[in-house]
Amino acid sequence: MEKKTITIYINDKPYRVEPEQTVMQAADKLGFHIPRLCYHPKLSIEGACRVCIVQVEGLKNYAASCSYPVSDGMKIHTNTQEIRRARRDIVELILDNHPLDCHTCDRDGNCELQRLAYSMGIKKRHFEGEKKSYDKDLSSPSVVRDPDKCILCGRCVRICSEIQKVNALRQAYRGFKTVVMPAYNMPFSESVCTTCGQCINVCPTASFIEKNYTQELFEKLSDKSLIKVAQVAPSVRAAIGEAFGIPPGTAKEKETAAALKRLGFDYVFDTQFSADLTIMEEASEFLDRLQGKGRLPMITSCSSAWMKCMEQFYPDLIENISTCKSPMSMMGAVLKTHFPEKIKAAPEKIFSVAVMCCTAKKYEAQRPELKINGLNGVDLVVTTREAAWMIKSAGIDFLNIKGEEFDHPLGLSSGAGAIFGTTGGVMEAAIRTAYELYTGETLLDIEVNELRGLKGIKEGKIVMDGKEIRVAVAHGLGNACDLLDIARKEPGKYHFIEVMGCPGGCVGGGGQPYADANSIPLDEECLKLRAKALYDLDRNRTIRRSHENPDVQRLYKEFLGRPLSELSHKILHTHYKKKEPKGIIPRGLVRAR
Amino acid sequence: MKKNKSKENFIITLCDGPSCIHNKSKELKRDIEIQLEKKGLSDNGRIILSGCLGMCSKGPILIVNPGYTIYGHVTEKDIPEIVESHLVKGKPVSRLIIDEDHLYNRFFRVFGDVGFFGKQMRITLRNCGIIDPESIDDYISLRGYEAIAKILSDMKPEEVIEEVKRSGLRGRGGAGFPTGMKWEFTANQKSDEKYVICNADEGDPGAFMDRSAIEGDPHTVIEGMIIGGYAVGSAKGIVYIRAEYPLAITRLEKAIKDARDSGFLGENILGSDFSFDIEIRLGAGAFVCGEETALIHSIEGSRGMPRPRPPYPSVNGLFGKPTLINNVETWANVPVIILDSADWFRKVGTEKSKGTKVFALAGKVKNTGLVEVPMGTTLREIIFDIGGGIEKGKKFKAVQTGGPSGGCLPEKYLDTPIDYESLAKAGSIMGSGGMIVIDEDSCMVNIAKFFLEFTQNESCGKCTPCREGTKRMLEILTRITEGKGEQGDIEKLERLGNLIKKASLCGLGQSAPNPVLSTLTNFREEYEEHIKHKKCRAGECRLLLDYVINDKCVGCGACKRICPAGAVSGNPKTPHVIDKSKCIKCGQCYEICKFGAVDKK
Amino acid sequence: MMKPLDIIRKKRAEAINRIVGKGYLSTKRVYVGMATCEIAAGSKEVMEVFKEAVNKGLTDVYLSQKGCAGRCNLEPTVEVIEEGKIPVKYGKVNEEKAREIIERHLKGGEVIEEWVIK
Repeated sequence: MEKKTITIYINDKPYRVEPEQTVMQAADKLGFHIPRLCYHPKLSIEGACRVCIVQVEGLKNYAASCSYPVSDGMKIHTNTQEIRRARRDIVELILDNHPLDCHTCDRDGNCELQRLAYSMGIKKRHFEGEKKSYDKDLSSPSVVRDPDKCILCGRCVRICSEIQKVNALRQAYRGFKTVVMPAYNMPFSESVCTTCGQCINVCPTASFIEKNYTQELFEKLSDKSLIKVAQVAPSVRAAIGEAFGIPPGTAKEKETAAALKRLGFDYVFDTQFSADLTIMEEASEFLDRLQGKGRLPMITSCSSAWMKCMEQFYPDLIENISTCKSPMSMMGAVLKTHFPEKIKAAPEKIFSVAVMCCTAKKYEAQRPELKINGLNGVDLVVTTREAAWMIKSAGIDFLNIKGEEFDHPLGLSSGAGAIFGTTGGVMEAAIRTAYELYTGETLLDIEVNELRGLKGIKEGKIVMDGKEIRVAVAHGLGNACDLLDIARKEPGKYHFIEVMGCPGGCVGGGGQPYADANSIPLDEECLKLRAKALYDLDRNRTIRRSHENPDVQRLYKEFLGRPLSELSHKILHTHYKKKEPKGIIPRGLVRAR
Repeated sequence: MKKNKSKENFIITLCDGPSCIHNKSKELKRDIEIQLEKKGLSDNGRIILSGCLGMCSKGPILIVNPGYTIYGHVTEKDIPEIVESHLVKGKPVSRLIIDEDHLYNRFFRVFGDVGFFGKQMRITLRNCGIIDPESIDDYISLRGYEAIAKILSDMKPEEVIEEVKRSGLRGRGGAGFPTGMKWEFTANQKSDEKYVICNADEGDPGAFMDRSAIEGDPHTVIEGMIIGGYAVGSAKGIVYIRAEYPLAITRLEKAIKDARDSGFLGENILGSDFSFDIEIRLGAGAFVCGEETALIHSIEGSRGMPRPRPPYPSVNGLFGKPTLINNVETWANVPVIILDSADWFRKVGTEKSKGTKVFALAGKVKNTGLVEVPMGTTLREIIFDIGGGIEKGKKFKAVQTGGPSGGCLPEKYLDTPIDYESLAKAGSIMGSGGMIVIDEDSCMVNIAKFFLEFTQNESCGKCTPCREGTKRMLEILTRITEGKGEQGDIEKLERLGNLIKKASLCGLGQSAPNPVLSTLTNFREEYEEHIKHKKCRAGECRLLLDYVINDKCVGCGACKRICPAGAVSGNPKTPHVIDKSKCIKCGQCYEICKFGAVDKK
Repeated sequence: MMKPLDIIRKKRAEAINRIVGKGYLSTKRVYVGMATCEIAAGSKEVMEVFKEAVNKGLTDVYLSQKGCAGRCNLEPTVEVIEEGKIPVKYGKVNEEKAREIIERHLKGGEVIEEWVIK
């Protein structure tokens, strides 16, 4: 059946477009890129910035193209002198209430506001006056809030309430003093914020930035008395190339290892190794629970933002969480116990650094429950962005460097460990091992396709020796909460649930490189390409199952004994407890729009 | 000279309304005066020319009080008979009596002889001032809730909407959207739940029309909402009223309870199968929550910020359901349209703006208060006839209509008829009905600044032009009033004003620059004087005034002692002098001088 | 089953009966303005004066309150209405004037012209 089309005129030329869409959507498809700021295809339409205004014949005011629907015969003008001047004035008004410190700002060179101001051609300033002045919020270990730079696009508010459903941020006050903040302007660390860092991803300016530890790290790297150890997350290698101009989709595994070694790390290990370790522990734990030794459904616990979310909003389901630590923290635990033994060094001399795609890991690293014998498992966490900056700052030519292998004994990983970075990957890895541990046979259909892809909630079934195991996967805290609401109502529906706090999984984490000038934050294509890079790594590995990793087997033989042994429990497992920060609203009271 | 009158025992009222088709009131008045003279009754009563009494098809109308006997189709031949039979013998002339039980007429039975109400027509405020607002019996006795009974007995929802559409009623909240059309859009949506909302968040500073309507006659709003609910298919009504109106809230709560107890709210109203109930929600001091989408978000529990429209509330409103939202005044007009018919309502007002409008007349007029006039009445009539003209003998300068969203109209617009289109053409808006009269002692720049300060404080902060643009305009205006105006400031104000008007998301932003832009158009000289010559001709901008000691000075030295800048010099008992260069213009010398020796220029 | 129009007519008759039973038609109806603007001008005290007088035995009076009639700069206002007579509206009434009105008008039948709103 032929789709109905209507005719609209853009700048006096007719075009046939589909009805039931906005002017901006129609224009985008026709090759017009109307300037915009607060609009994002994944978020609700805000209509706040007024940068996307166009002239529509017959209307006495300008229309915001992001929200105005097309109609048959509509005549739109996107580039008259009048509308150009109006747009220019609006962007100038934004600049007039924004600090003038581009050269010392974290987003210098990659700032949406900078790009917009440049394209508007603002040369002279007409309306300068008072600027708003607020204190920076440095309380959170993960995310720094700088309200002075906020341009009130509302993207952070929308992603936190619509996609993550945490509702940590909202506009407050009125008039000139309006600014985005947590409730009652309380310090970020005391609020319900889960430190997932998605606000950083969508913020067009430097109003949200990760807590930067690069200076401290450079100092530690020049301290000869320490043994500097790094671990690299799977998603970091999938995306770090983008920070150097390489299009998304290429995994720069060996180059990252080489660059980190040149920065001054004594050992560069792979979090994918400890991902395999996590699977050993977690699959065994799951099988135990299947036999009645614990609550079902079991919920994965690698995502630290998700853990804080559960402690705050689903404390009644804390018993369902797997007691396994995340791969990063398991690596940290091994680094402060077995590893110093092996190299005959004092544990206090080990300085353990994690290069992560995630801002919540900064929060996780300082959780008191994760200490080993009084020492932090991970001493410092840097994001992909920070690592990329350090590599550039130290003068390392990432594009042309010769790749190197990760170090022994904690650097070898299976393909299952690699796919940890994408949504559905943890579950797939767990199934590969759990199946064999339970049935004694190898799972031949090694790629569990129904768990791959960007659908918010995915379901899968696997039959182990006649027993049907139902699993579910969610990515993004909002989808996770929806999934848990279902699990709460129907406890028998699922056996095993995987949750990743960020949309797309860890590849979309709060610490990943910013989108460049030709893309948008959280672009689905980009997330898919990063995921594909990891799936390709998996395919190209000879060892694709966690339990077949010989170094993991050796770790058990030499140190841990077997999965869920007493020693494993002591250093590789943890507990969670209910948290009640200010601003918790009972979930039933928040009525969705 | 005041005559020592004997007791007044009659008042004759002649209808002098603008729509009266037989307008011979002035000739009839003369005839009556002649007759009274003949019978020696001239000193025993008054003849009054009143505003439109709404009985236009039966004119000329003559009313004799006491007893409020209404005579219709009166000719000059009937006058001697009326005077002889009714006034002298006390026997009314039955063949001329018409039996008009119009709702709005009852007000004039009590207040018909008061000059202030001469040109007014009280439809919205028909019961305010003549009933006890806390008594449902009072309301019922004046045909209250009969409109509901009528529609539940004889009219289908579509017929009710047709009637409202035909009446030409337009939204009284300020936008003037045809009410019947809005009802039709909402009714046409298919949904399991629909809402009816009354916007009683009267945020304009100085406006009190809605407050008086609810405090004086809450049941008429309830009745209007029930009719609206029936017409569009809703069972739930909400009144969103600002918390700063505690008395109105208590009266409304009592009225809702009484209506429920009497069977006008709740399940199966008056034995029909229509159910409707009303809830009250309080505002919390945000002017922006008077905007319909912001109001809806506020009721939902979110921050009161508007959102882009379309979709309109009639399609996607409260909790995503079709919602009909109207202003208090609009609701108060609905029962009258149902009972007195849309055809009658159409006779009041102008071609495009039907009915009456309530204005809160304030400012420098002699008679301030609530004025309800048919659309089409001119500004001059309201300010000078009803308002009594400018007080203290000063000169009229401008009238500000529409609150902080409206413009200032100078003398040349005094003959503009009040209706939506004419006021917009003149450069202002009808708004919700604020009308402030300004005399020669007020500075137009300062007035623009006052209103802009209000809108900037109340801006919700969502969209850039309103949040940032009004702040920058305010900074420029403040500089101008402090004597720091620069060349190019006026052009900047116009540039920003036009941008904010056309690019803002909601009505608050779109109308915020109106006071500034209209004063720039109509009173440009004052701005130029402030900027170029650093002078304020009205004497209001303190920092632009020169304080000068005149020859009334006796040298008491009080000003010299109080001056904080040491700008006054002079010896005792000799005239003192103010040094302009040291003067900080605090005004203390002016305040303290007992001899009127300090001039402000 | 009764139609709504019949029900409302019945209710109206009942309401009128109740009011008339309280003396609506047979007595002097006194309305004291009690809107926010009136109260701010002092009408609560004026109402107290009238209430006191009724308690102390002033008969033949139907005392009630009313909303704002709109004549704002002459508040507080008090209306005295009798069937068959011209309604009297007093403006700028204070406690002293209220007492005078009770004595001279309500008891004595005299309309105090100087205070009447014209």
